[in-house]
Amino acid sequence: MHKKDRYKKEEKTDPGGRNPAAYTDYKSPKKAYLAIFRIQFLESIQYRAAGLTGAATSIFWVLIQIVVYTVFFTYADNVSLPGVSNGMSLSQTVSYVWLAEFLLLMQPSNFNPDILRKIESGDVGIELCRPMDLHSLWAAQNAARAVSPLLWRGVPILLAGFLPPPAWRLGPPASPLAFLLFLVGCVGAWILCFSFSTFLCVVRLNVPWGNGPCYMIFLLAMVLGGTYLPLQLWPDFLQPFLLLQPFAGYTDLPLRLYLGTMPLSDAWLLLSLPIFWSAVFLFWGRRLMHRRLKTIVVQGG
Amino acid sequence: MAQIELKDISKHFTVSERPKGNHAAFRSLFHRETHRVEALKHIGFSIEEGELVGYIGPNGAGKSTTVKVMSGILTPEEGECRILGRTPWRERASHVANIGVVFGQRSQLWWDVPTQDSFELLRDIYGIPANLYGERLGELTRALDLEKLLSIPVRQLSLGQRMRCEVAAALLHRPRILFLDEPTIGLDAVSKLSLRQFLKEENQNNGVTMILTTHDMDDVEALCSRVMTIGHGRLLYDGTLQELKETYAPLHRIRATLQENVQLPENFPKGILRWELEGKTYTAIFDSRSTPAHLLISALAKLLPLQDIVVEEQSVDEMVASMYRSLDLS
Repeated sequence: MHKKDRYKKEEKTDPGGRNPAAYTDYKSPKKAYLAIFRIQFLESIQYRAAGLTGAATSIFWVLIQIVVYTVFFTYADNVSLPGVSNGMSLSQTVSYVWLAEFLLLMQPSNFNPDILRKIESGDVGIELCRPMDLHSLWAAQNAARAVSPLLWRGVPILLAGFLPPPAWRLGPPASPLAFLLFLVGCVGAWILCFSFSTFLCVVRLNVPWGNGPCYMIFLLAMVLGGTYLPLQLWPDFLQPFLLLQPFAGYTDLPLRLYLGTMPLSDAWLLLSLPIFWSAVFLFWGRRLMHRRLKTIVVQGG
Repeated sequence: MAQIELKDISKHFTVSERPKGNHAAFRSLFHRETHRVEALKHIGFSIEEGELVGYIGPNGAGKSTTVKVMSGILTPEEGECRILGRTPWRERASHVANIGVVFGQRSQLWWDVPTQDSFELLRDIYGIPANLYGERLGELTRALDLEKLLSIPVRQLSLGQRMRCEVAAALLHRPRILFLDEPTIGLDAVSKLSLRQFLKEENQNNGVTMILTTHDMDDVEALCSRVMTIGHGRLLYDGTLQELKETYAPLHRIRATLQENVQLPENFPKGILRWELEGKTYTAIFDSRSTPAHLLISALAKLLPLQDIVVEEQSVDEMVASMYRSLDLS
């Protein structure tokens, strides 16, 4: 039923006609979650100075990584071709490092502070006073929080990537098609990132003993996502596991597409994996949350 | 049928505790002592549409728990609750679409964005059509004087300003029931008075049922026709404030200022329970149920050189304190 009709119908049935909001069955429309996304996004992009200084840190970190990789690639023993390790050349690795630093910004390294504060203080109760689905609400908030750093922190990193001399530069994509698939992969990474952070928020809601273990899981996810070391450079026997585990979609899969280090015929698999894992996290998280909300204790007076 | 009906609601919490000391702290790693706290014991009442009910009780009595049960946040172990024909915790979303909640100590506005943005978010959450939203926002803006606050981020508002915005936020979707949990806590006198005035008007003009939990008895006196008292999880009193006063605060006070220092005569009028004289101020306590005040005044006027005389009720705070004491709640 359209929401306006809902109002009209109720105006007839409500004796005083004073309360058009007294519809019989109500759930917030999808638009509400978009509005949540919007407001959280606007809230996050206010911090321009913090974003820019963060970008400076990131760029510095990228440069250090490039130095380290250059040393390894130049002096390593078991390089199959000169300058190539496990199917990745040095220049590909340099591009990888730049883009990984960009994609890292979407990845959850801690809880959304708004949500964490509400879990800890018991304000989750206030959220429950809205006709919304709490899980979708959190997902919308986390989705906004994942994408908002890309503006003030992400764009400067990319720009900086094009400036240095060729040996340090962010190279072009393998092909226009590869670039397109990479963009799709980035969207997949975004969905995976906020699905997982939402899932961990639900886990946090279920465990009263604090944040430490969750932070370790966040970090583990980033390592398995290929943020710190491209997954292709890990030992061969681990490759099947690394490709199928949930977090490859964070960084590694989109970048394989960009760099062309994987045949394009496998692209469908690469792009469906993050979606599959996102669905698992969202579904599982929703179930956990609904079970939890039945027994929730809202602390404080 | 009443708009709000609670029957036999019981809710308990499990609280973990541990004795002091290192040994106990170590032990608690493996085994935790817990005990059960009965927050609500067979609470039951019903409230009709348009009533303005004060819900009072000492800290930890179960006020907030009751409000949380009624707003669908907590599920009680036992009992039934029907609000607008729904069970809050079973049909939470539909239920909360028809209620508004204001928590004095918690904010429901978005901290970093202008109030207007929070309001628009609520518009989308409650699916309020644009024309009705504009109309309602205009109404609330006028009544609560929000004009200048709408464009300011919430974090920069003073507590009084924020509270006005919170109340407006809770009423945007025209709820039929409004729960107010200590709405005037921390407010200055002017803000308190204007907030009370607004709530009263909203109740009269729009017929919004309001349930107010508070420790500020002036709130109750100014607003509530009906008072419920809860203590140790039980409903102890349910009736008018007047009856409550007659039961727990029957003693009134006469305060007289005398023209000159005098020796007090031996035989005072009957009905005065105790008295004292401090300089030129004479104070006497009497029971208003057995002794009409005007008789005492005329008797005193004959005995003493009166300059001024005032009859006072016990303050509501004193009354509540004596009630808590007599019910063994404090």
